[in-house]
Amino acid sequence: MKNEYIPHPAVIESVQTESFDTKTFKIAFEKKALAESFDYKPGQFVQVSLLGVGEAPISIASCPGRKGFLELTIRAAGKLTRAIHQREPGDKIHLRGPYGNSFPFEEVAGKGLYFIAGGIGLPPLRGLIKSALYGRGNFGKIKILYGAKTPDELCFKEELKTWKQMDNTEVYLTVDEPNQSWQGDVGVVTKLWDKANMTTSDGIAYVCGPPIMIKFVVMNLLKSGFKDENIYITLERYMKCGIGKCGHCNIGEKFVCTDGPVFSYAQLKEFPDKEKTIT
Amino acid sequence: MKEHLLKKDNVKALCIKASEQWETYVPAEVTGADVHFMRLNRNNKDSILEQLNLDYESLVVPPKVILYPQLESLFEFQDENITETVKPPVKKLLFGLRACDVKAILFMDEFFRRSFEDIYYLNKSRDKLLVIIGCKQPLDNCFCTSAKTGPFLETGFDLQLVDIGADYLVEIGSEKGEEFINSYREFFDEASKDNIEIAKIVKRDAEKAVSLKVDFEEAIKKFCEDKVPQQIYETIAERCIYCGGCLYVCPTCTCFNVFDTQSAGSGARYRNWDACVFGGYTREASGHNPRSEKWIRTSRRYEHKMKYDYLTTGMSGCVGCGRCLASCPVNIGISQIIEEVTES
Repeated sequence: MKNEYIPHPAVIESVQTESFDTKTFKIAFEKKALAESFDYKPGQFVQVSLLGVGEAPISIASCPGRKGFLELTIRAAGKLTRAIHQREPGDKIHLRGPYGNSFPFEEVAGKGLYFIAGGIGLPPLRGLIKSALYGRGNFGKIKILYGAKTPDELCFKEELKTWKQMDNTEVYLTVDEPNQSWQGDVGVVTKLWDKANMTTSDGIAYVCGPPIMIKFVVMNLLKSGFKDENIYITLERYMKCGIGKCGHCNIGEKFVCTDGPVFSYAQLKEFPDKEKTIT
Repeated sequence: MKEHLLKKDNVKALCIKASEQWETYVPAEVTGADVHFMRLNRNNKDSILEQLNLDYESLVVPPKVILYPQLESLFEFQDENITETVKPPVKKLLFGLRACDVKAILFMDEFFRRSFEDIYYLNKSRDKLLVIIGCKQPLDNCFCTSAKTGPFLETGFDLQLVDIGADYLVEIGSEKGEEFINSYREFFDEASKDNIEIAKIVKRDAEKAVSLKVDFEEAIKKFCEDKVPQQIYETIAERCIYCGGCLYVCPTCTCFNVFDTQSAGSGARYRNWDACVFGGYTREASGHNPRSEKWIRTSRRYEHKMKYDYLTTGMSGCVGCGRCLASCPVNIGISQIIEEVTES
């Protein structure tokens, strides 16, 4: 029987600052065999540990095609993530996983893909976006709608520019609080709706962001013709184990860690209202 | 399988003999009037067995604590190097369990096996022998006949003892149970037809002695059909002090928290029992808390037992042991909730 609670040693290879409170860590497992064999799908997460500080679930931001390392984009939000932000290249960190289900991908070939993210909600979609962009030709239009509080808080600023220039790909950005140099849109992510011409009958939507954003995005998606089962939302929940045991992430009879974190809106609708999955 | 007899006078000698091969736990009155399952070892066995109490009414702390301790180390570390602390399986004899607690252990076995296997629990639980002594004097809080978890079981045990006076009638529920009897033959006799007849009467009387009756099936149905009025949860929320006591003593509660300790580069990661009624149970680092309101946590606490466990396993997470009511400082128990729900 495998001991699922033991994390594996890994090394931080590089650190990229995304904003005042968010960094992307490129991490490789210490054991070469594990680094090479570690396989995951877009939407999955790992349990990240600093021994003596704690452990938390972090979604994998890198693209599964790239072997040998992982990228984790982490906002300094609590005790553990603040401590991780103090770590530098060469420092050790411990990981276990991957856990959770993943976004449907191969199944949606030929369809238009619509990514809608808010703030730190873009990193969980990044692996999928990159997989779609590199697998170009397999999909219809790709539209990315991304909102953040301030221009500084947009993650992957350089990549967003690259994505925008790719064929058949549209990127729309908005911020709540613009600075003087901001020339894009202002307001919540749904403000981009008309500009992005979101109307579709068979498009697939992938949504990640704060609960209130998810609520309004889903309302808009439904109005634009997206079907319940074509809207995929990845949820965040407080988790301790990642393997369906500690109980913290349960919603109804589901565990976000093992049944999710990706749920279709058709599934989400069945969750009890009082669990406030999206409010 | 054939029934046997175990003389009450032989119980202590059997436990001592068995403890040479088995990690043996027996109910003993070691702290005032409270009865706890105590592990026999070479040094304490005489004093523990002096306080042996096989007629206890209820264990304050459920026997889950043997398989799933309130606090346990997941691993230790020195600097960045991890040392595993999980222990290999050991043969365990749990002698003198109540039927409801055995049902709860079976429930936990299933839970910790499901999807990812939990090696810490399963290693402790794997080689266990469950010996029931059926309850003769149920507490006012118990409702096992309604929950169909006692006072005696048909299956699920390895051995089941029925108190028929100077002896226990011993029923065999598994091959492991039969092997145990064969290994300790000298302590067991063959049961007569009369013994078996008396045991039937004892069982019937024990069932009658359970005075608290609730409509468990109707409650499950209402919970599953979402027909529990929110008002019920809100009323509890006004009285409940959210201490979590009922969940710590619940024999099927499995939720845990995880934390690290560290001093001078060495430390450990532990898990300890947690309770879904605590305000911080679902609070994320961002501050977002999907169950920020008390009544929502209350509904989760009861719906988990009466709906979600049932939908997942076909078995309710409530075994009718009555501990939640017994431990509650403000007199709330799941039996009352069941009554309110079925009457609503």
